[in-house]
Amino acid sequence: MSSSKFTLSRRKFLAATAAIPAIGLAPGLIRSARASGPVKLQFMYPVGVSGDINRIVSGMVADFNAQHPGIEVEAIYAGSYDNTEQKVITSLGINEPPSLWLPINSALQTFLGLDALEDITDLAKADDIYDDFLPGFLNTCISDDRLYGLPFQPSTPVLYYNKDAFKAAGINKAPDTWDELFEVAKAVTLRENGELKRWGLTIGGGWHDWMFECYCRQNELVPWQKDKVLFDRPEAVEALTFWKQMVDGGVMPPASTWQGSANDFLAGHTAMLYHSTGSLTNLRTSASFEVGVAFMPKNKTYGAAQGGGPLMIAKNQSDEKKEASWTFARWMTNTENQAKWSRATGYLAVRKSAWAAPEMQSYLAEVPAAKVALDQSQYAGAFLQVPGYHRVREHLKSALDRTLAGEIEAAAALTEANNNSNREIQRVMRRQQS
Amino acid sequence: MDNAVNMVSATRALPLSSRVARWFSKSWKHFILTPLVLLWLSPMIWIVLTSLKTKVEVFDPDAGILPAVLNFGNYPATLSVAPFGTYLLNSVLVTGSILIAQLVTITLAAYAFARLEFPLKRLLFSLFLLQVMFPIYAIFLTNFVTLREFGLINTLPAMIVPFVASGYGTFMLRQAFRQVPSELSDAARLDGCGHLGILWHVYLPLVQPTLIAFGIISVVTHWNDYMWPLLVTNSDSVRTLPIGLGLLAKSDSGADWTRLMAGTTLVVSPLLLVFVIFQRRFIDSFMHTGVK
Repeated sequence: MSSSKFTLSRRKFLAATAAIPAIGLAPGLIRSARASGPVKLQFMYPVGVSGDINRIVSGMVADFNAQHPGIEVEAIYAGSYDNTEQKVITSLGINEPPSLWLPINSALQTFLGLDALEDITDLAKADDIYDDFLPGFLNTCISDDRLYGLPFQPSTPVLYYNKDAFKAAGINKAPDTWDELFEVAKAVTLRENGELKRWGLTIGGGWHDWMFECYCRQNELVPWQKDKVLFDRPEAVEALTFWKQMVDGGVMPPASTWQGSANDFLAGHTAMLYHSTGSLTNLRTSASFEVGVAFMPKNKTYGAAQGGGPLMIAKNQSDEKKEASWTFARWMTNTENQAKWSRATGYLAVRKSAWAAPEMQSYLAEVPAAKVALDQSQYAGAFLQVPGYHRVREHLKSALDRTLAGEIEAAAALTEANNNSNREIQRVMRRQQS
Repeated sequence: MDNAVNMVSATRALPLSSRVARWFSKSWKHFILTPLVLLWLSPMIWIVLTSLKTKVEVFDPDAGILPAVLNFGNYPATLSVAPFGTYLLNSVLVTGSILIAQLVTITLAAYAFARLEFPLKRLLFSLFLLQVMFPIYAIFLTNFVTLREFGLINTLPAMIVPFVASGYGTFMLRQAFRQVPSELSDAARLDGCGHLGILWHVYLPLVQPTLIAFGIISVVTHWNDYMWPLLVTNSDSVRTLPIGLGLLAKSDSGADWTRLMAGTTLVVSPLLLVFVIFQRRFIDSFMHTGVK
C-alpha cells in the first residue's frame, strides 16, 4: 500500500495462478446456487399451417408457465420444419441443445444418429401414453421398441374434391379405388377445343414423395426400413406406373408445386387434389365452391403416411431439466390441450380421449371432413424414417419427376433412386459410427 | 427558366402539325418508358390489391382484379401474428449498424489496398476476395460458435458482428480508389494532409457514387436476410421483419396470401419510401459507377 508501484512477488503470483481454476468453477457454483429458482427450458417449434399457430403455441406455453411455478418454458419459433431442424442441429453441434423441439417425424433416425434423443419409454409406460394415444401416431416415434417422442401435430394426405365440378359431371361420390379414381378423373377433366381448362387430379408437388409412399402403402408395401429403402419393389413400380398412366391419359399434370396445387384447386383449375389435412381449414375457408374430403383411394388396401411432428426431449441435459421437459411434453399432449389444439389448427388430436371430449364431438358435427382424416389415420404409418432422409427424398422426387416427364421408365428410375438412396444411407450411418 | 419561357412562346407560334412533331420528338421516350413503368409497378400494385381482398376472392376466377370491398382487416390481422413494430425497429437498427460499420471498415481497408505498400499485400487481398466466394451457409456453424463464445447469441449484435467487414465492398471501393488520379492525393500531401486527411478530403468525395451503390446493396441484402437472424435469435424482442413474414408463408397448407401480402406491403414500404426520397442520388450513383 505504501508504494503506488505495481509490485508482484513470486508468492502472490503463484497464489493468483492457483486461484484461476477455482475462479473458472465459479459459474458452476453460481448455477447450482440458482437451481432453487424455476427450471428454464427452451422449446423450438416450426409453424407449418397458419401464422396464428405462433400465437396459439405461445399462448399454450404461457398457460403452462402460469400453472407450473417451478418451470419456465421459453417458446422459440424456428421457421419451417427444415429451418427448425437446422437450428436444433446447430445447437447440438455446440452441446447446448434446446430441452425440447418439434421436428417432422421423418427426422427420428437423423436425431437418433446424433444420439440426441432421450428415451422416454419407461416414463410413458408408467403413464397412460400407450393406452390412450392412437397407435398409428405413437408408432411414428418408436424405433426398436423404444419411444423417443410424444406425437403432437400429426397430419396425413387426404383427397380433396370440388363438389360443384363433380355435380356438373354427374358424379355423386368420391372415388374409392385407383380404378375409380382414374375414371372419375377422366370424367371431370375439362377441355375446350383441345385446350385444357381443368385437370382431373393434381398430386401436391414438393411433397409428392410423401403421397407416393401412401400409394406404396395402398399396395401393401412400406417402402423403407430403418437402414434402407425399398423403392425398387414391384409394388412401388406399379404405383408409379399408375401415376404415369394418369399423366399419359391427360388427366393429371406431370408436375406441380405444393402451394401452386392448392391455389389451382381453389381457382377451379383442378377438380381433385391430394394435399395435407393441415390444409383443410385453409381450403375450406378460401374456396368459392363446396369442398369434399375423402380417403385416399385404395388399391389392395387403404394406406397413408404420417406427416407432422412429435415433441422430442434432448438427452444432453440435466436430469432436472429432463424431468421438467417430460412434464411439459405430457401437458402439451394431455386430453384437454389436444382437443383445443386440434380444433384450432386442423391437425389431428393424438389421444382417443381427446376425440371423445364433448367439444371435439361438436367440432366433428360442424366439420365432418375432420373425421375423414381421423378414420384414415388407422391405416397410416410413419413417413420415410431413414438416416439422411433429406437426400433420400430428393432422390425419390427426382425419380418421380423424370418418370412423369417421360424421360425414363418407372422401373429404371426407381431402381436408380433406390441405389442412390441406399448408398446415401450407408454413408450417413458410417459417418455416425466413426 | 428563361429558356423554358422562350421555348413555350416559340412553340405557340408554330403550326399545329409541327408542334405535335416537336412534342413527339421531345417525349417519344415516354412511349417506351410508360409500359416499362407499368410492368415494374404491376407486382407492387398486385401485392397491395391482394392485401385488400378476402381469402375467397384471391383465387375465385369470377372475381375481378380489384377487391369488391376494400378489406383493410388484413393489416390488423397480420400485425396480430407477431410484434411487427419491434421487428421493424430491430430491422432498422441491424441494417443501419451494419451499413455504418461496413462503410468505416471497407473505406480503410480499400485505401490500404489501393494506395499503401506493405508486405503480403497481394496475399491478403486474395484472402479478401476469397471471402466473397465463400457462401455464407458454409461458415454458419463457425460463426455461430464464435458468437456464442462472445456471449452474443440472442442479441442484436449477433446479427451485426459477422457482417461488419465486407470483402465485396472492399474490392468495389479499392477499384474506385485506383481510378482517382494519384496527383490529387500527392497535392493533398503537399498541403500537409495525413492518410486520414487525404482519405476524407480527396478520396471519399470522389467515390461517393460507389459508396451509395454499395450502401444500397448492403441494406437490401441485410434487410431481407432470413436464415441467419432465425438461427442466432430466440426471442421476439430481438428478431427482424423477414422472420415475421416467414410466419405467414406456411409450409403445410399453402400460403395465407391476403395476410402475406399485407405483411409484404409493410416490410417493403420503408425501403421503397427511402428509395423514393433519395431517388435522384441513387440513380446518379449507378449512372456514374456504370459509366466507369
